[in-house]
Amino acid sequence: MASKKRARNPHDKHRLSGRRLREWGYGYVFILPWAVGISVFFLYACARSIQYALSDVRLTNGLSITYQGFANFVNIFTTDNTFPVALMSFATGLILRVPIIVAFALIMALLLNSKIRARALFRVVFFLPVIIATGPVMDELTRQGVASVPMVNQATIGALLGTLPQWIGEPIQELFSSLILILWYSGVQILIFIAGLQKVPKDVYEAARIDGASAWESFWKVTLPTVKPMILLNAVYTIVALATSGQNEIITMIYDNMFNSAVRRGYGYAAAMAWAYALVVSAALAVAFLLLRDKSDRKVVYEQRRIVMKGGYYNDGKQ
Amino acid sequence: MASGGVKMNPRRFSRNQIPIYLYIIPIAVFMGLPIVYIINHALKPMDELFAFPPRFFAAHPTFNNFYNLFASASNSSIPVSRYAFNSIIVTIAVVFLSVFFSTLAGFALSKMRFKLKFMLFEVNNAALMFVAVAVSIPRYLTIARIGILDTYLAHILPLIAMPVALFLIKQFIDQVPDALLEAAQIEGAGPFTVYRRVIIPLIKPAIATGAILTFQQVWNNVETSNLFTSSESIRTLAFYLNTFSAGGATGSANAVQGQGIAAAASVVMFIPNLLLFINMQSSVMNTMAHSGLK
Repeated sequence: MASKKRARNPHDKHRLSGRRLREWGYGYVFILPWAVGISVFFLYACARSIQYALSDVRLTNGLSITYQGFANFVNIFTTDNTFPVALMSFATGLILRVPIIVAFALIMALLLNSKIRARALFRVVFFLPVIIATGPVMDELTRQGVASVPMVNQATIGALLGTLPQWIGEPIQELFSSLILILWYSGVQILIFIAGLQKVPKDVYEAARIDGASAWESFWKVTLPTVKPMILLNAVYTIVALATSGQNEIITMIYDNMFNSAVRRGYGYAAAMAWAYALVVSAALAVAFLLLRDKSDRKVVYEQRRIVMKGGYYNDGKQ
Repeated sequence: MASGGVKMNPRRFSRNQIPIYLYIIPIAVFMGLPIVYIINHALKPMDELFAFPPRFFAAHPTFNNFYNLFASASNSSIPVSRYAFNSIIVTIAVVFLSVFFSTLAGFALSKMRFKLKFMLFEVNNAALMFVAVAVSIPRYLTIARIGILDTYLAHILPLIAMPVALFLIKQFIDQVPDALLEAAQIEGAGPFTVYRRVIIPLIKPAIATGAILTFQQVWNNVETSNLFTSSESIRTLAFYLNTFSAGGATGSANAVQGQGIAAAASVVMFIPNLLLFINMQSSVMNTMAHSGLK
């Protein structure tokens, strides 16, 4: 790509400025519909919701907004006795679930990447939940307790866990009760890992084997370093997926505080909750970056971005 | 671009594949269980629905729940076909417009040079991870101000900007070689011709993926019906079916019967998803695996 570009540049140098002007013009034309949509329904809405978070919002004859600084945020952490707890359990849930989902996805990707028959079929099976399990269907499933597979949960596993000391049994039971959900959240991650694994050249494994490395060793020395960027990408994806899923208790809380007349504390309060939540999610993302970044590279974020958006980086005019 | 890993299957079954199957098959079955369960659940008669311990397979499968679903719909003033019609209109409009706008924007973000480009893509990434509930009030106000409350547009407009679709499509366009576009340009094609004749045919798998993701978001969306509409006749199927599982809006008489109806309703909701996905799955697999990760 780059060489072609260099070859072209001297050729049309004399009309570059005119051409660039035209490209700009068309760029704006092409992006305009999307940009209008995103500014009206996202950017503007975001700005307003920050304003609400800092105000007392009431719906008495129209919308009355009184600026009151950080009072909503103070209330969240001093007077509310459910939301901070929910935030905490969301955070601990992330610590427990993200590593499990990512590790499971990696193992499944390794299995699905090995030479077996009907591999395409299995890949579909593991990706299927991502496609169909959203919205009402998923709500219905969790409501029915299917996500925990009740029979398995109560009868077999319960008896099995009874033999263990409680401090081991408890977290394992917790895990089992949402095991299927965890598995269902890993579809996209498995695909990302498979794509990563396919980049590892076969001869590297060959060379490792000739040098006497066992399969175990070549996993740690060859496979893992290659998919390391994918681990970060997957961790980020998992955090975002868990944070925005419909099963998320916090989202329900925010929603109730906005619209449920029985429990609501007002739009301003709910907006403040949403932003507090957004901060926790960003903090989780930051932790993931810090833990999983490539130590040798200072500008991890950009490095990751270049992997994710290979072509885009080149086109950003930064070269 | 079409080289998935799919065709690398070994011709013959060999013995050293067995351990891998030992792992994969149970987990695959395990993941398939809830889907089987929800279908079975919908087919259970009333006494089995409340049986304890719950049964996995329906002993006496019946279509009663589906019958009740549509019967209770005809009891209320609005037939279920009205909700379905609304859903179909809204879904088709959003999928079409969103794919159209996303491909336009993706083409610009990927292949054109203009100021603010990098920033615009960052905005899209931010929108990708933001919780929609948080901005629903300002959205409501915006919609009220434009004056489209309680119309189809209130369903359609807020959902058109699909950050995920734009992200995937942009990644895919990145992989279209620049040389191809230049060749088209030298032949005298303008940007719109390039878009229509070169970009669109080449990124069909990405379009399929974007369409599926958009479809499932719109098809399952309850929020726009909840917030931006007030008359029943303009609300969508997802909203209607959701009233059963929520057990509220259509009255508490549905609470007991609702169990079965809700199960039937969720099957009705997910079957279009399933069909669409099976129809397009090979293209989807290609996009997901190639969304810039190659």
